Amino acid sequence: MKAADTGPAGTLTVEDLSVHYGGVRAVGSIGFTVAPGESVGIIGANGAGKTSTLKALMGLVPRSGGRITLGGRDLTRVRARDMVRHGIGYVPEGRHVFSGLSVEKNLMLGAYSRPWNDGTRRRLDEVHALFPVLGEMRDRPAGALSGGQQQMLAIGRALMAGPRLLVLDEPSMGLSPKLVGSILDVLLKLREEGMSLLLVEQNAKLTFGVTSSCVVMENGEVAMTGTSAELSRDPRVREVYLGL
Amino acid sequence: MKSRSAALVTLIAGACVLPYGLGGYTIHVVDIALIHALLAIGLGLAMGVSGQINLAQVAFFGVGAYGVAVLTTHYGYGFWAAAALAVPATVATGLLVGVPALRMQSHYLGIVTLGLALGFINWITNARITGGADGISGIPVPTLPGVDLSSEYLYYYLEVAVFALGLLFGLFVVHTSLGRRLRAMRDDSLAAGAMGAEIPYLRMTAFVLASLYGGLAGVLYGGLIRYVAPETFSIGNMFILLAMVIIGGRRSLVGCVVGAVGLTLVREWLSDFSTYAQLGYGVVVVLMVVFAPTGLAGIPARVRDLYRRRAGHHEARAELRPFTPYPPAAPATGQPVLLVAESVTKQFRGLRALDAVSLTVRAGEIRGIVGPNGSGKTTLFNVISGFYRATSGTVGFAGDDTTTARPYALSLAGMARTFQNLRLFGQLTVRENVLVALDRTRTRAIWQYAVWQPGVLARERRLRARADEVLERYGLTDFAEADPASLPYGIQRRIEIARAMAARPRLLLLDEPAAGLNGEEVRQLVRIVRSIRDTGTTVVLIEHNMGLVMSLCERITVLSGGRVIAEGTPDEVVAAPEVIEAYLGDSDLTEAGLPQPPTAEEVRRTEEAPS
Amino acid sequence: MQETLQTLVGGLSLGAVYALVAMGFSLVYRTMGLVNFAHADIAMIGAYTASTFYLTVRLPFAAAMAVAIVVTGAIGLVIERVLRPLENKDFDLMLIGTIGFGIVLQALAIIIWGTTGRAVPSPLDAAPFTVLGIRVRTYDLLVMAVAALAVVGLGFFLSRTKRGAAMQAAALDHEAATAVGIDVGRSNALAFAIGAGLAALAGGLVGPMLYVDASLGGALGIKGFAAAMLGGFGSIHGAVVGGIAIGVLDSYAAGHFQGYSVLVTFLVFTVAIMIRPMGIFGERTVSRA
Repeated sequence: MKAADTGPAGTLTVEDLSVHYGGVRAVGSIGFTVAPGESVGIIGANGAGKTSTLKALMGLVPRSGGRITLGGRDLTRVRARDMVRHGIGYVPEGRHVFSGLSVEKNLMLGAYSRPWNDGTRRRLDEVHALFPVLGEMRDRPAGALSGGQQQMLAIGRALMAGPRLLVLDEPSMGLSPKLVGSILDVLLKLREEGMSLLLVEQNAKLTFGVTSSCVVMENGEVAMTGTSAELSRDPRVREVYLGL
Repeated sequence: MKSRSAALVTLIAGACVLPYGLGGYTIHVVDIALIHALLAIGLGLAMGVSGQINLAQVAFFGVGAYGVAVLTTHYGYGFWAAAALAVPATVATGLLVGVPALRMQSHYLGIVTLGLALGFINWITNARITGGADGISGIPVPTLPGVDLSSEYLYYYLEVAVFALGLLFGLFVVHTSLGRRLRAMRDDSLAAGAMGAEIPYLRMTAFVLASLYGGLAGVLYGGLIRYVAPETFSIGNMFILLAMVIIGGRRSLVGCVVGAVGLTLVREWLSDFSTYAQLGYGVVVVLMVVFAPTGLAGIPARVRDLYRRRAGHHEARAELRPFTPYPPAAPATGQPVLLVAESVTKQFRGLRALDAVSLTVRAGEIRGIVGPNGSGKTTLFNVISGFYRATSGTVGFAGDDTTTARPYALSLAGMARTFQNLRLFGQLTVRENVLVALDRTRTRAIWQYAVWQPGVLARERRLRARADEVLERYGLTDFAEADPASLPYGIQRRIEIARAMAARPRLLLLDEPAAGLNGEEVRQLVRIVRSIRDTGTTVVLIEHNMGLVMSLCERITVLSGGRVIAEGTPDEVVAAPEVIEAYLGDSDLTEAGLPQPPTAEEVRRTEEAPS
Repeated sequence: MQETLQTLVGGLSLGAVYALVAMGFSLVYRTMGLVNFAHADIAMIGAYTASTFYLTVRLPFAAAMAVAIVVTGAIGLVIERVLRPLENKDFDLMLIGTIGFGIVLQALAIIIWGTTGRAVPSPLDAAPFTVLGIRVRTYDLLVMAVAALAVVGLGFFLSRTKRGAAMQAAALDHEAATAVGIDVGRSNALAFAIGAGLAALAGGLVGPMLYVDASLGGALGIKGFAAAMLGGFGSIHGAVVGGIAIGVLDSYAAGHFQGYSVLVTFLVFTVAIMIRPMGIFGERTVSRA
């Protein structure tokens, strides 16, 4: 799977992003960058504002402030549904596959933002190569898949649009260690092929195995940033993972 | 307060002298308006207060009116005797129409009640006993010694008396125990059930109230017009009635009355342009729904809010005060088993959320349930507290098999819970939220509303005093009158715990109580949970924050992928390789560059170190 | 036996109309979670528009229908636009809002067409024929054929076209649909317009079978709702099965209980729905409190 058939990847820059829900602050002025081909993780305890950050980045919840650029282009005013047209693929927390539709249709809808043609077919084959199980189950309703298969479908669906940057929210949620391992392998493969990744994750192995740097969030703010190697040795990060 | 009673006196005086200034036709319109107002109160109680979509109100009206008509003209009853039978008959009809509410809500209920109303209309239009399309005329004038009720002026006083009593009773219901539960059910029926509100009985109660007012209105209508025909009870009129309630404000009985009286007068005034008037109400209903969902009754509050925001007006700073620990009770001896789950499995279509989970919790324990996101923790709570029924396996609480028990039954048996995503009753104040849980009387005690209102009031005073104690203990006194949704997250979490504890449970289930809390708030939480346990209440908590669980719990159960992968003391659990694997992804930590997990001893030291 | 079959045939054509109403209703419900109480009145406007263009303007019946579908589709777009702010917020308010629109549409119908109704002659003048001793009206066959075509057409649109798939996706998960680039608002508006068009189709077809007046919506609509519920809210197959079930039940009740057919139909319906609140094809959504 080639990343970036929509052009060269650019740097994603998020500045001063904040989110309020009915007067209550969920995210306050956070900022980070994802360079082309880089993998960045956002880690933090439940309720720290990680998912809100991703949703605000994608425009799925209203931002109360902030600026987002990708490769120098300002995406702050781009609507949620057009983010995919700028090369950002999103894999939501809890998969959110279209449960009543077949696996194949889920994947095809991933390419909704582009014309359905031979290119789409080719891409479908690439996704099947990456996740053979999705090819085997192409006619099954997505809701009947197991949790791990649904996660693969959600990633495959996002890849169908040919994104330059893949935003993933807790891909390991509810999966057995073995399945987490296969998700890890897939993310590593995507990274090798030059895809930029932004990953919110609770699983330390997955986070530190994939990302090169991380942002640690606490109560809606950036508590720490650093390379993944540093952070994995930092006692304060243990607080996040083992909550000490 | 003074201005209020002055306004009330003026209102009563105005109502008494009103007929003197009105012509014969106008008084007729006013009489009709009062009947609509009674109907609207009934609809408001069912829809606005209890959240039950009832589109059969016009049929209740019809049962009352036709009841009187049939009993007087066919069976020779006097008016009052007929009325005394027609109202209970309407209530019985209300109970029947309400039965579907036990199985369905919202639009489903709307369609079913509308269908039943159509069935009623179909029956009265065709049955011989109801006079078919011609209706029934010749209903006798109600007799009252010394008063000629054939005069619409004097009939007005009868109506005003019934209406005033009806409104007072309605307001009494709304503002006391029963109404509070109905409103809690409307805001969040799941949470209300978990606080011990007997949802099925409450839904039936809503229909009883709606039909009671419908029946009274029908009887008064029969006595006033002395003629009934199907067109009065049409679906079109049902929708006009709905428009009255929506425009006036469905959540406020006074709003419903204003809407009913106002719309009746406007309709009469525009009777020459009735079609255009109808167009007008339709448009107003749509506009109201989009721009002023609380109706006319909600406008003063909205204006006040707007003014406050404009003026940058802030109330004296309210603050969350520290929690006052409970006086400790003698520790339970023997530690009998309080909660048992035996190989509980829960299947959702393709997903097995729980896979043969077994759990035993002894009285007086603080048990932690931990596991990665999606491991089935909340599903387990939902099975234990009766929200989900286990696909297989059994749950026992306090010696009883509660596998199939409803949430309210479990609450009454002494189980209380909080919710991960905060389920406070949004339209109730913080004090009322606590009162809902505090009030342990059963729904069947509502007979008091019919015969002994002072008893209700006395109980209400006692409950309020106890609610104030609870609020005081949890440091929430400053927020007693606040709207919970407007408060910061940490305070809402505290309210959830206070509300659950107000029910004085034997078992408290806390679902991620620390999520989103800051360091100081987490420390307060630890203090609260310890104190709760020291009063003899057993606590089971789900938590993602391992540190909190380790410092607080005597025993920990670890779930992963819907299975119990470890159980034991914090020391045992933290050393179990399965746990490390589930949490960190792999037992070989050096590969991911992670240090070895600390021992529970280290954990405790970190926790107790002064910060 | 003969009589039962005759009742069945009579019920099938009305059932086909109820199925059309239920299908439009289900489509809107499925995509927006909106129970459109104005749907019935949209059908009534459709019936009036079709009859006006057929009788007064003297367009061919099919062309008059097409005009009716376009007009009601536009009405559907207006309703969707006005109620859009309430979407995913307050279910009961949306429901009441659509009732408000129903009141408006009825008043408009009376203003435009007056209070007296009209009888629409059948566009087919072929005489009824008899098969196995059962009288079949040719118009009834036309109604069933058109309804069947509509079912197949809608099924094709939803399962074979990109826009149809996107409409289903938007209904199933609006956030995920947005993330793949679907304009959920536009998709919903389109669903609403198609739903309204189906209502107009039902209204136009029922014109020659019943009497067209402002209260037509009431009778047609509530039975259409009942059909949708019986079949399972939001299921297209369910709408068809539910529609036929209600049509047959209705025709049976009319044969055996004469004047009380509506009462009997709704009593039976209520009992059926109490036993299975999710309908025949619906999923369990009723919560345990």
